[in-house]
Amino acid sequence: MPRVLIIEDDMELREMIKTSLIRRKYTVLEAENGKEALSHFKPSTTDLVVTDLIMPEEDGLKVIMKLRELKPALKIIAISGGGKAGPGGYLNLAKALGANAVLSKPFSINDLILKIEELLALEQQN
Amino acid sequence: MKDKKDLLRDDKQHKVLSDEHEISESIINHSRSMISVINRNYIYEKANLTFCNAHNITPDQIVGRSLSDIWGTLTFCEFIKKNIDLCFSGETVKYEASFETPGYGRRYFEVTFRPLSVSSKEITHLIAETFDIEESKRRELEIKDKEEELRTFETKLPIGIVRCSPDGQIIHANKAFLDIMDCYNAYSIRKTNLKSFYLQPDLFDIHCEQLLEKHSVTLGRVSMKDCEGNEISCRISGYLSFDETGTLPILDFVVEDATRELMLENRLIQAHKLETIGALAGGIAHDFNNILTTISGYSELLMEDLPPDSDTSEKVGRIQSAVLRAKSIINQILTFSRQFEQEKIAVSVAEVLKETLDFIKSSIPSNIEVQSNILQNDIKVLADPTQLFRVFINLMTNAIQAMEEKGGILSVKMELVEGKLLQHQINKNIVADEYVLMIFKDTGKGMEPAILGRIFEPFFTTREVGQGTGLGLAVTYGIISEMEGEILVSSKRDEGSEFYVYLPVSRNDKQIESFKGIRKKILFIAGNKHESRMLSMALENTGYDLLYISDRQGFARSVSNTGDLPELIIYMTDSKLVKPEDFLIIFQQAKIYTPCVIITNQSYSIFEEKLLNSGIVKQHLIKPVSLKEIRNAIQLSIIKLD
Repeated sequence: MPRVLIIEDDMELREMIKTSLIRRKYTVLEAENGKEALSHFKPSTTDLVVTDLIMPEEDGLKVIMKLRELKPALKIIAISGGGKAGPGGYLNLAKALGANAVLSKPFSINDLILKIEELLALEQQN
Repeated sequence: MKDKKDLLRDDKQHKVLSDEHEISESIINHSRSMISVINRNYIYEKANLTFCNAHNITPDQIVGRSLSDIWGTLTFCEFIKKNIDLCFSGETVKYEASFETPGYGRRYFEVTFRPLSVSSKEITHLIAETFDIEESKRRELEIKDKEEELRTFETKLPIGIVRCSPDGQIIHANKAFLDIMDCYNAYSIRKTNLKSFYLQPDLFDIHCEQLLEKHSVTLGRVSMKDCEGNEISCRISGYLSFDETGTLPILDFVVEDATRELMLENRLIQAHKLETIGALAGGIAHDFNNILTTISGYSELLMEDLPPDSDTSEKVGRIQSAVLRAKSIINQILTFSRQFEQEKIAVSVAEVLKETLDFIKSSIPSNIEVQSNILQNDIKVLADPTQLFRVFINLMTNAIQAMEEKGGILSVKMELVEGKLLQHQINKNIVADEYVLMIFKDTGKGMEPAILGRIFEPFFTTREVGQGTGLGLAVTYGIISEMEGEILVSSKRDEGSEFYVYLPVSRNDKQIESFKGIRKKILFIAGNKHESRMLSMALENTGYDLLYISDRQGFARSVSNTGDLPELIIYMTDSKLVKPEDFLIIFQQAKIYTPCVIITNQSYSIFEEKLLNSGIVKQHLIKPVSLKEIRNAIQLSIIKLD
């Protein structure tokens, strides 16, 4: 089954995403912030990353850039609940930096799962 | 026969006389005045040395010369003759004149003609004495010039100067004071008491006391009212002086108009306050979005676990609805704090404004009249048209509510203004050379200054609890600020309010390239035609073809033609064209799987709830929705697997 890494500092939210993904038979890895995610990241065993953007330690935008360097084919979904950085906001920046999809909080978990499925299906086709 | 002694005495007497004569002659000759004796024929019979020197002639030469000969016929006839004639009638004549003599050039003189009777009582001669007053005249003129200069200075100075008696009675006021007080009658102001301009007259007494005690006092900013009754703010300093006798005190005041300064200061304080609230609210909103995602996620998981149509699943559905309502409020707070991403396109302001006016007019009470003056169609601004629509709706709805009880006139104007003008008004850097200004004016109940200063704060409302969220103007402020525009307000209790919205004009004429790919067909059932036009404006050039449904039958036809099904259906549940109960029935009868985006109001009916729980709804949005939200919903609904 595909392996998904969730990077989110809100513990309850991370737990909810994890529960939903495990229910759909995904293997889930978790990280509390960007720094933790980058130190444990293994390109060969991670297929997709769901990352928050505003986090303590390394923020989500830097994480996206570094993950892209480590594994160019990695699928990344950025999630964020507001905050503004430059024109268009964090999510647009995330997209510009290489996120394959973005979702603004609060989102429906089913929408997130559909996005994950869509991106992983694309990868399988390739 | 005189004896020798007599002769000697005569001789001696003669000698004394001649000495006295010589002394007198000498005094007269060396007088600083020109002195002459003139007979009735205007002929000089005698003149002193000063006179002769002035005319470069000897005393012998002057005798027998006429005045017109010496002064010229013109001067003689015009100035001298009448005075001489007056003198011969018995009066002493005195006058000042400037004239030229060969010896001294042109100078100012004081001339005196004195009648002279030598032997008889008849006036046979006159003595003319001409005294050089050039120096004193020059000094006098200098003082006059200085006075004039000071008067001009005082008149032109943009600072009000007013002099009062100790009880406040105005003795003198300069032009600037009259201007500040909006007073056009310089005379009537002298009958006024300075105290009557004070908003709090008691304060004037305190000021006077301070002045009498300290002689020179900076009294600070004072609220005053001008002759028209308008409230103004003035910075006042006072000085104590005394009249010529040195006993009666006089109060001099310097009055500066500080109304604009106060307005700018208040704006700055307000902007800082709103920024602080915004940052705080934005921070809270961010955390709440995390919490809401968790709540909505778990309720979705719960939903999967529960049998459909069960009591419990209905309750979980309500949790999800509550999450959406919370999301809508948070989005509004984020919009206020400028942390909500806006998708901007070049929009014609006039088009959106006209659309809003049409919308408003359809629901306006009959005691309110709408006047509008919107001309330029080609002025474009960078905006999300749905947000701009919201701004206009909010301002017009507020205006109408302010006039609800007594009725009135809502006037909407639109004009172009230079950026420099706005810059002067707000004392702030501006982003564009040109702004489009929209003025929304009502004749409603108006606002007190204390309320006026808080209207843009989120959750500030003067309405009763439960009537409106208090977010309308906060959101309006946020949207306009995000567009780098400005919103200014002026209001007067019982007279009405005026809102000025300035938006930078977009001069980027480059057209957005139209979409070239395969266009996706979206079926759109809007609440009203204005909203649908807004949305079509927003979704232009994005690759979607919007297909509008005008009635129930039309909707049924569009979803039954399986050969040409839409990719997506966007349905606003407050549509009068297709009711929620009909929508569900038609959709289910058609047996299609087209994803639906449902847009509802904050609260909804049982039919709407049934529709939301039916499983056909892909995305549920709550009004007001932004262009960004709609695009996101469309993208999330149309999943591409190819």
